[in-house]
Amino acid sequence: MTEVLHIVSLALILAGALLCLTAAIGLLRFRDVPTRLHAATKPQVLGLLLIVIALGIELQSWAAVAFLVPVMLIQFATAPLSAHMVGRQAYRNGTIDRQELYADELDAAKQTPPAAGG
Amino acid sequence: MTTVLIVVISAVFGISALLTVWRIIVGPSILDRAVASDVLLTLLICVLGAEMAINHHTRTLPVLLIVAAVGVFGSISIARFVARRDGAEQ
Repeated sequence: MTEVLHIVSLALILAGALLCLTAAIGLLRFRDVPTRLHAATKPQVLGLLLIVIALGIELQSWAAVAFLVPVMLIQFATAPLSAHMVGRQAYRNGTIDRQELYADELDAAKQTPPAAGG
Repeated sequence: MTTVLIVVISAVFGISALLTVWRIIVGPSILDRAVASDVLLTLLICVLGAEMAINHHTRTLPVLLIVAAVGVFGSISIARFVARRDGAEQ
């Protein structure tokens, strides 16, 4: 039984590692900051979730779970936060490919002065 | 079986870390580097967790928690204080 659980946890770790590899390939191949951000946020949540589940299966103790649940909650809370900040700044900074945009919902906010909080 | 899986996992982690470091080196803008270093930090958390699961110990659990809690401030502060135009591709 423990051998089966060991294989299961290794398979979960492998899936998380493959998500990390996907993010790295996306970082390398995509063109501008928002598309790279899109690739980068996959291992931050799903990959880490898979590895944390593998860790919980492997350790099998409530004390470890008491550490792992806050790790996941913090990651769920902060990954969108940093992605939002970087994406917003990329829009302001001009490091996005404007020809590729289908709709520019921030176009009106661009007209307001920066001190107005737009 | 498990040895093969561990070797494959290490190879996948290593290749993705190298690709991420390559993006940090190449850039071109500071926000690309911020995103890439964020990915590298997530990769570090994943590697720490995987190492704990493979070697079956709990010594680096507090490191996992602290890195997950503090890591967000890096890219937020870069995004906050980066210049409005850093002349990346204008």
